[in-house]
Amino acid sequence: MAELMSPQELRVALEEAFSGTMAKDASFSRAWATGKLHKHHFVHWATNHYHYVGPFGDYLGLMYANTPDHARDAKDFLLQNMYEEELSDDRHTDLLIRFAEACGGTRQYVQDRRNATPFTKGLQGWMYHVSGTKSFVVSSAALIVGLESQVPSIYRTQYPTLINKYGFSEWEAEFFDLHITSDEIHGERGYQIVLKYADTPQLQQECIDIVREAADMRFAYTKALYEAYVEPDLGPWVEEEALAAASLAEPEKVLVG
Amino acid sequence: MPRIHFKTTDRYYEFPDGDEVNILRVSIRADCGLPWKCASGNCGTDRMVIEQGAENLDPPRRRERERLGDLLDQGYRLACQTYARGDVTVAWDPDQVGLDEESRAGQRLKAKWLGAADGD
Repeated sequence: MAELMSPQELRVALEEAFSGTMAKDASFSRAWATGKLHKHHFVHWATNHYHYVGPFGDYLGLMYANTPDHARDAKDFLLQNMYEEELSDDRHTDLLIRFAEACGGTRQYVQDRRNATPFTKGLQGWMYHVSGTKSFVVSSAALIVGLESQVPSIYRTQYPTLINKYGFSEWEAEFFDLHITSDEIHGERGYQIVLKYADTPQLQQECIDIVREAADMRFAYTKALYEAYVEPDLGPWVEEEALAAASLAEPEKVLVG
Repeated sequence: MPRIHFKTTDRYYEFPDGDEVNILRVSIRADCGLPWKCASGNCGTDRMVIEQGAENLDPPRRRERERLGDLLDQGYRLACQTYARGDVTVAWDPDQVGLDEESRAGQRLKAKWLGAADGD
């Protein structure tokens, strides 16, 4: 029978659970970070991202309702996170739409659910399912640790590219800069909640499993963006370093997700 | 290994060479005691004076520049907005609250004073 892990051991296990399938390594993210995308690709990204994160207040509200009163610190964190998404300053989805408009998109296009991929709708549905039906410890592991805590690692690479390579202004790209820092803190608080309240071996394992599942979901969603919108323009994604190495070793191209 | 010295609580956080760490995140992670409220650079509760190692920090972001204003020139940074890549020493007032809370308190006080003046 599995033994209860220490908080330090559990943290390492959670980090390892998503280290192999982080969205920053998916083809769309790599094409973005290496300056290969065009503005119309970003409109599609913003549209799909809107339908992924747009209901974040809903997800957090469901998690809040599933959090018992004795976990007051966790409830307060969820409420604070919800407030920051929606009310503390510019609404985060408005910042996303601002970026889409800077790329030539419109609010109406972004908000139209028909313009999202089936993978995006699947990710959204999975988030509703997890936040509405799972223990707050497990849903925190999924949405905060597995998904939200990945954000700084993605945007810290992509934001400088948006400014320096694609030529966006700080104002146009504020959505990304804001989330680099805010999701550092949200992610850390997510870890704290999971480390504190996952107090049985079974619950710890459930958290590890759902972090892995969350990472898989986000990776698949991101990869699907490349296949739906970029591949018709640029062809299958090929890592330049991998391609260079492959050309020296063998003629077969190396394709990644 | 580089380290951040949280002088007010006399706590340290070490991190691997080559890494960049968000100062508020590591303060929360290692229980170093920096006060904070929001995570968006809005409230200013997590402002800190950089006593040493300012050259090891990333430049202030737009949100931080707007929030701190003149305090930036006095050596303040917002922990939630600041990444460190080398040795840094930071300090703060343990009783500090958000910048707006202070200004709202100031406004209430001013209203009270003005009310008293009107009553005189």
